[in-house]
Amino acid sequence: MNIIEIKGVIKNYALGTTTVHALRGIDLTIEEGDLMTIMGPSGSGKTTLLNIIGCIDKATAGTVSVHGDEVSSLSDRQITDLRLNRIGFIFQTFNLIPVLNTLENVEFPLLLKKKDSRAEIRSKAEKLIDEVGITEFIKHRPSELSGGQRQRVAIARALVTNPDIVLADEPTANLDSVTGAQILDLMKEMNAREQTTFIFSTHDANVLKYAKTMVKIKDGIVAEKSAL
Amino acid sequence: MSLIIKIAWRNIMRHRGKSLIIGAILFIGALLMTVGNGVISGMDAGLQKNIVEGFCGDALLVSDKQESDNVFLEFMGKAVAPITDYPMIDSALKTIPYIKKWLPMGKNFAMALNEDGGLAKGAFVLGVDMQHYRKFFGDNLKLVEGGYLEGNEPGVLVPTGWRKLFGDYYDILFSPEGTKLDTTALGSGITSRLSELTVKHSAVFMGVNNENTTTDVRVPVRGIVKYRSLNHIWGSFPIMDIESYRQCLGYFSALATSAPVKKEDLDLLSKSDDSLDNLFSENDMIVAQKPAAAAAALTKGSLAGSRTAERPNIDPDAGTWNLVLLRIQDGKNLNKTVQDLNRRLAEKKLPVRAITWKKATGFIGSMAALIKTSLFVFVMFLFFVAIIIIVNTLSMAAIERTSEIGMMRAVGARKGFIRLMFLGETAALSAIFGGAGIAAGIIIVNILAAFNLTTDNDMLQLLYGGDTFRPILSVIDVALAVGQLVVVTLIAVVYPIRVASGITPLDAVSRE
Repeated sequence: MNIIEIKGVIKNYALGTTTVHALRGIDLTIEEGDLMTIMGPSGSGKTTLLNIIGCIDKATAGTVSVHGDEVSSLSDRQITDLRLNRIGFIFQTFNLIPVLNTLENVEFPLLLKKKDSRAEIRSKAEKLIDEVGITEFIKHRPSELSGGQRQRVAIARALVTNPDIVLADEPTANLDSVTGAQILDLMKEMNAREQTTFIFSTHDANVLKYAKTMVKIKDGIVAEKSAL
Repeated sequence: MSLIIKIAWRNIMRHRGKSLIIGAILFIGALLMTVGNGVISGMDAGLQKNIVEGFCGDALLVSDKQESDNVFLEFMGKAVAPITDYPMIDSALKTIPYIKKWLPMGKNFAMALNEDGGLAKGAFVLGVDMQHYRKFFGDNLKLVEGGYLEGNEPGVLVPTGWRKLFGDYYDILFSPEGTKLDTTALGSGITSRLSELTVKHSAVFMGVNNENTTTDVRVPVRGIVKYRSLNHIWGSFPIMDIESYRQCLGYFSALATSAPVKKEDLDLLSKSDDSLDNLFSENDMIVAQKPAAAAAALTKGSLAGSRTAERPNIDPDAGTWNLVLLRIQDGKNLNKTVQDLNRRLAEKKLPVRAITWKKATGFIGSMAALIKTSLFVFVMFLFFVAIIIIVNTLSMAAIERTSEIGMMRAVGARKGFIRLMFLGETAALSAIFGGAGIAAGIIIVNILAAFNLTTDNDMLQLLYGGDTFRPILSVIDVALAVGQLVVVTLIAVVYPIRVASGITPLDAVSRE
């Protein structure tokens, strides 16, 4: 079953007086439970595509459907709720809330959802923190954590709402190889266990061995899609 | 909500520098507003107490023909209309339970003539029955020289302010009749010019009246007085005995009402117009055999300047007045009481109406409100500057936090959450620093009040609202300061909230 369907997506940016054609017509389907890596050189449009899939950016033309909902027809509030309930984000630069500690950062999306009790939220957050292996840093703020620890917090935060899709934009770019490998192992394990769809953007060839599907982007178009 | 408060508080602590700048502005603004409110409220209360208890009572009755309510301080205004039915008013007032006491008074403009030629000096002259006056006001006057008016004796009490004016302009120094000039009571300005001044023991007043023929009256100066408070204002109100005042203004005097009238005169007065022809009949009704007793009595009794013994016993209430000053029972709402009083007066068909002391004293009554408004405008200007600084600082903070805010939006925070977060931060700053400013203001006001600072300086007395500086803060004043803080917070946060809520997840990603 396709969880994401992308048809004829074009994305243009205005850069001063010139127009940058970031995506020139992307057609792509992503199945539920996939672990897809989107590869390509810098400037190929990986991050732009990931932003459009995650409803962070809007396509200039074409359609993006998530779980059958055509994203361009949704209001800002509906898109925000879609991100909250169905999509988890892992950013290249961790992007944690600096004034909240590890536990509070992981709890943050659940507190926004306002569905679970305080105890349930605490329990879910602690469980995920334990799974990503940073329990001993539960009261630490981001500034007191290493890059790998911060990325683990970001993964825990992305997964705590049990989303259908997790988007990770170069999740290992700022990590050493050992920590990067640990993070990828963790994601692969989650994918296998929870059937969560993971979509990575990366230009790190080492990531390929973790993926089920690989998509190569070049000059804003899909140059290759293959199962691994 | 606890999440927002937690984030807001930690952000305040994280950005201490900015928080302190905003907080200091809010603190100073709230402090100034609170202390200013305290001073003005104290002044308002002081003015009210001193004007009400020392000069004009809580409310006044004026003639229903009186056009302006500002009966005391309307410069170049019309004469205050006379009240001719005081005995009826007096009877009516006795039946109104909330009127504690009342005092009839004459008040009009008169020229004090300079007998050596040259210009005359104007003065607002009060005509009073001195015994009644002192019973009504107690010790509102401080006797500087001489004595008070006794019995029905003619005379004038000259206030120090007016004496100084006369000395400055006409080189005339008033001194009570039968006393030796007390130079210790004179100001240094007059004392240094003493040799140039002519000492006079009487003053000549000429009433200014649009309706009646006025008269020049010479009245002996009985005393030099100083109003215990606000002498700077009331010091230009000489106090004259009521009969001299009435003669000066051309009013019907009490003596005239008490003079006996012969039967022939009564017959003449009772004749109708149709009987005028009878006046020229062979049997004349009027035969002047000797000067009429009434005329003799009028001439004798109305001679201003004559001694008390020369005046027969009269009932001062019987003649014409201009005002009736009223003291109302404590705790009564003045405006509502005056409304009720007017209703009662109308029911009794009395030709007078009631006004409050604030209306009767014109700009003086409104002074506290004016100063309060000025202070309010000043503080609002201060807050306006504060708003600009706060808006700028918060907007910069919002832009600096693009990654954080954008990430929050990316993981599902709605715009409302971002708005509340910013509002929470500003509200917390307002509550802490503004609250501290208000608390400090309350403490300062109470410390100032505890010092009981007193002054004899006329200008300072105006500022103090009396001779003692006693700032006070009412619940309303504090509520006003809190209200202003809330308004400042809300206004200051509008633009930064727009900036913050306009940040998209893409902005955060693009920043990387």
